[in-house]
Amino acid sequence: MAENTTFSTSGADAISRTIDVQPETTVTSPSELGDFYEIERTIAEILAGDYKRVALQFPDELLHDSVPIYRRLKAGIGLGRELYVLADTSYGSCCVDEVAAQHVDADAMVHYGHACMSQTSRLPVIYVFGKKAIDVEDCAQRLAEVFEDSSALLRYDVAYAHQAESIASALRRTLNIPITTSQIHLLSRPSQTPPAPDPEPESNNSIIYIGPESLALTNLLLTHSMSSVYSYDPLTNLARLESARTNRLLMRRYATVQKARDADVFGILVGTLGVASYLPLIKHLRAILSRAHKKSYTVSVGKLNPSKLANFMEIECFVLVACPENSVVEARDFLRPIITPYELEVALQAEQSWTGRYVLDFERLLAESAAAADAVPPNSASGENKTGENAEDEDEDDPDQPVFSLITGKYRHAKRFGAPTPTLDSGSGKGKEPESSSSDVILRNQDTALALADNAAAQFFQDRTFRGLEARVGEDAPSVLEQGRSGIARGYADDHPGTTS
Amino acid sequence: MVNFTVDQIRELMDRPTNIRNMSVIAHVDHGKSTLTDSLVSKAGIIASAKAGDMRFTDTRDDEKERGITIKSTAISMYFEVDKEDIPFIKQKTDGPEFLINLIDSPGHVDFSSEVTAALRVTDGALVVVDCVEGVCVQTETVLRQALGERIKPVIIINKVDRALLELQVAKEDLYRSFSRTIESVNVIISTYHDEALGDVQVYPEKGTVAFGSGLHGWGFTLLQFATRYAKKFGVDKEKMMAKLWGDNFFNPATRKWSTKPTDADGKPLDRAFNSFVLDPIFKIFDAVMNYKKDAIAPMLEKLEVKLAPDERDLEGKALLKVIMRKFLPAGDALLSMIVIHLPSPATAQRYRVETLYEGPMDDESAIAIRDCDPKGPLVLYISKMVPTSDKGRFYAFGRVFAGTVRSGPKIRIQGPNYIPGKKDDLFIKSIQRTVLMMGRYIEPLEDCPAGNIVGLVGIDQFLLKSGTLTTSETAHNMKVMRFSVSPVVQIAVEVKNAADLPKLVEGLKRLSKSDPCVQTWINENGEHIVAGAGELHLEICLKDLEEDHAGVPLRRSDPVVPYRETVKAESSIVALSKSQNKHNRLYVKALPLEEELTKAIEDGKVSSRDDFKARARVLADDYGWDVTDARKIWAFGPDTTGPNLMVDATKGVQYLNEIKDSCIAALQWASKEGVCCEENMRGVRFNLLDVTLHTDAIHRGGGQIIPTCRRACYAACLLAQPTLQEPIYLVEIQCPENAIGGIYSCLNVRRGQVFSEEQRPGTPMFTIKAYLPVNESFGFNGALRQATSGQAFPQNVFDHWEIMPGSPLDKGSKLEELVTKMRIRKGLKPEIPSLDTYYDKL
Repeated sequence: MAENTTFSTSGADAISRTIDVQPETTVTSPSELGDFYEIERTIAEILAGDYKRVALQFPDELLHDSVPIYRRLKAGIGLGRELYVLADTSYGSCCVDEVAAQHVDADAMVHYGHACMSQTSRLPVIYVFGKKAIDVEDCAQRLAEVFEDSSALLRYDVAYAHQAESIASALRRTLNIPITTSQIHLLSRPSQTPPAPDPEPESNNSIIYIGPESLALTNLLLTHSMSSVYSYDPLTNLARLESARTNRLLMRRYATVQKARDADVFGILVGTLGVASYLPLIKHLRAILSRAHKKSYTVSVGKLNPSKLANFMEIECFVLVACPENSVVEARDFLRPIITPYELEVALQAEQSWTGRYVLDFERLLAESAAAADAVPPNSASGENKTGENAEDEDEDDPDQPVFSLITGKYRHAKRFGAPTPTLDSGSGKGKEPESSSSDVILRNQDTALALADNAAAQFFQDRTFRGLEARVGEDAPSVLEQGRSGIARGYADDHPGTTS
Repeated sequence: MVNFTVDQIRELMDRPTNIRNMSVIAHVDHGKSTLTDSLVSKAGIIASAKAGDMRFTDTRDDEKERGITIKSTAISMYFEVDKEDIPFIKQKTDGPEFLINLIDSPGHVDFSSEVTAALRVTDGALVVVDCVEGVCVQTETVLRQALGERIKPVIIINKVDRALLELQVAKEDLYRSFSRTIESVNVIISTYHDEALGDVQVYPEKGTVAFGSGLHGWGFTLLQFATRYAKKFGVDKEKMMAKLWGDNFFNPATRKWSTKPTDADGKPLDRAFNSFVLDPIFKIFDAVMNYKKDAIAPMLEKLEVKLAPDERDLEGKALLKVIMRKFLPAGDALLSMIVIHLPSPATAQRYRVETLYEGPMDDESAIAIRDCDPKGPLVLYISKMVPTSDKGRFYAFGRVFAGTVRSGPKIRIQGPNYIPGKKDDLFIKSIQRTVLMMGRYIEPLEDCPAGNIVGLVGIDQFLLKSGTLTTSETAHNMKVMRFSVSPVVQIAVEVKNAADLPKLVEGLKRLSKSDPCVQTWINENGEHIVAGAGELHLEICLKDLEEDHAGVPLRRSDPVVPYRETVKAESSIVALSKSQNKHNRLYVKALPLEEELTKAIEDGKVSSRDDFKARARVLADDYGWDVTDARKIWAFGPDTTGPNLMVDATKGVQYLNEIKDSCIAALQWASKEGVCCEENMRGVRFNLLDVTLHTDAIHRGGGQIIPTCRRACYAACLLAQPTLQEPIYLVEIQCPENAIGGIYSCLNVRRGQVFSEEQRPGTPMFTIKAYLPVNESFGFNGALRQATSGQAFPQNVFDHWEIMPGSPLDKGSKLEELVTKMRIRKGLKPEIPSLDTYYDKL
């Protein structure tokens, strides 16, 4: 990066900027390329689906191979079919960028490189992971050294999918135990029905993970805290038990959830546009937040960085809606905590619970909360009866009551946004069905938007010291014009006396 | 049995001139609870025979087992003063009946916060001093605390029986020992001269010093003896009392008083105190303990003591106890001393209002407090929460300073963060019931007028530990209590069974409520932390948490000590950080804040809530700051109140006020997680020297400035010799001479530094004072006991933060090792980030 020069203004550096990418593979010969990127299979799939316009999505690491791949594919599919190369996405490269593909009006996509295999909503996707080499025998041997359990579930980085079966059989042979594997679909069609869930390990079963240390492994640890997870890294040829850090990971997330409990204003960060149920999920999150009388904003900032999020100072906690692999963000450098939708649900519960269960999958999250919502009405009805009869119980449910914050160790008086006014409550709260409550909430929001006292932004504005320029008309004497600085802030003309740029 | 009724007490509550709110304070094991028994037995609440053994105010099982008081306990008593003594009461009084609200407090330093909470609601204090051990560290601490709250002390010198029976001292030696003790108490008092309070030194001849034995249930002030002798000598009581102390000698041959210890012929004379006060007591002790049966009967007759038939057969100590208790009943002596010399709420609130109330002295609440007006607006301070038999619920325990509290009407509940005119930390609720706290029992009350101590039901869920209740919309808060102890020892707890987690969280809340000092929170790693003043305090807290508040099995970590990050010098060069878009630059220097000022901020003497002009004046006058600098303090951090400052030292920067909020946010963040190992910073001043900002508002928003300012602060710290401070205990150890060697060797291996070693005059006991790092104090008690074969007991109280030697930036140093360990524990990269992580080149 240009360190000592002064700064250019042309914007040319955006084009010439080098980014820190280690090209993962050095495939040189055409045959290797064809094999590694499964050119033949891709062509076959495109022809089989009769797709006319196909978008090719490459992550930055593989972009250098895009041209030869494009040429060979183009040659394979013949005329009348268009191919487009998409650059990396604004979000995680593991996700399918359907929106970018729609810009070229594509009817199918080929996704190269590591993928999170989230269900897409619009386009059929052909996945090409790149076949990475693995020493199957060594893998089985090393794992046998550390593994100690009676059965196991095999999970792997998608790059090793081509060897999954042989690894499984090698493991069966060496360990002499039943091994279940999960199937990865190389072609995914958009659907509204969730795919069959991955086989869940029996509660005490172990999981064997093939692949280097990655977010996928971390997530596997988080979501399967009850099982012991063994990993084998084909790059270093090391096998080890990973579960030791599970508890630590979970407890860190637990601490973050506690911070979320203390927040009144939430930002819903849109971190993906490719995962099938992200829209219903965002809607669901808005609904649960307003039901809890929290203020929510929906924010889309592309890839996250501290500077972007720190611009929203009034937001006290962010909820990231992204594919499972990119959901868990360690927020050390961020001003505000970032949590996952599941963590938000936990944080909004009245009672503290943290059983070690952890869900990243949108579908399951939505299904579960729908099931929970079904279970609620009888409870709430009985609760209503109770409060009517018993004064002390009413006291317990008092919304004004401060909550004990575990972060500060003190009582915290939660702000309540969109709280019903008493008249509204008596009119609508009693007789209506639970289903209509969402429309209720909207009504109240509009209502309260008028009342400044109940407005999060207005409250934040009140607390700021700087509230815009003060017009001091007639108070200050007019001053004499003088020559100001010139140039741009990165390098004003008078900044570097002696140097010229 | 109980010689008064609740109705009687309720009636007395309406007479603020006849109420005495007092606490019993002292060093551990000087006999507070035992002495309290004598008072309680006088009120007929427990049988007088049991007084001294029962420790009525120790209500918890572990208090009984360990024989120490852990929680302060309140009890109300009815006392009728001798009509003849009424003239001695130098304040307005209304009849001879008195209501005495007594709070027995713990003596162990770890529980000092309980004492603070007790002192807040009382106007007077009975300071108990062991006649053999004298004034100890905790005596001094609590006495200072009391005087700081404008609480008037009276003294009782306790355990006189030990001096007589065990040490067998002579009369004159005993007199000297008494006067030395009184002298050392007065030395402490005199350092706290307060115009409003007047002279509060204690004088035996004025009756503000009592002598006695809580264990045996006897005690006296000179008033008792003066009453006996006044008639005989035909002088009034006050004159007689003056003669009974000090250099007053009576010549029995000439029946003349003299101030010289010899008569005309040079023959030694007996001091009046010795011959009139100590002599009868010595004679009784001598006769009873040496089984001189024949001598006892006439003596009893002379002293007008009548024994019951079954008591006549007693022998030895049992007989001594009975005789002494009838001769000089402790309850009467102490209660009349309390009634005569301690102020009533009506008297005390007049001068205490300034130190108690935050608001202006001329608003309706202040005036009502000053006049102790039961018809004024309600002002009630809750000083602590007392667990009820109903699990998880608490009585809010406090004092009505003005108005009358009753169940029903809505009142304003103002938490510690309430700011008048705002809605934060304010609840408008009604009280369910008001109760009288009577040790382990409670009695319902219909209402409670100003000047009384009361328990409230139904508001505990709105206040964590303390708060102000009022009916006046303009009322400010009562001042928050400042504790002399800090929670400097931490332990992480976790549930053994994950399903119990909600119970643990609820338990932590209850624990935090039930103790004024303990803090509970969750750290970045998701560990539940309980912080207390010392090992004993934590042990009690964790036991309560496990058995009571949470009720689930827990695992606990080893104790951990919090550190503070600070700097030792001014940044060697100006630290520069650029924003991510490179359009903004911040220039910052860090320098150490004066230790006095850091302490003043921590004690709340200088605070972010002060008016900035007034604060600037204080900083300029007391801490040598430049007034213009002092006026440009932007923020305190962390948590907007902490002992780190950001000062605007820029000149003529455009848009500067726009980034102020961002810089404040950055200071909070940076000072909460310091650069070395993400511990809180302490005593660091950041000078914002210059700022270059982009002309477009969008490019100098929070997103660009907050992370940049944080980085600039970190860079400035790294350039200013960053280091750590660790908490240090003041340790006081009393021991016989032969144990001193063991103590020294024990302290040496733990980095302890002895700074005072004194022999207590007239005893073989030595008092050693030392500084000991809290980190080294775990297991110190046990080690000390071993090294001295159980002869030495330390008292540890947090004293100060001390800069640790060395630099964490030196590879291979001890400090670097410590920092690395902490960083790993927190899941950070093991090494401190290098300067260029935060420092940008121009």
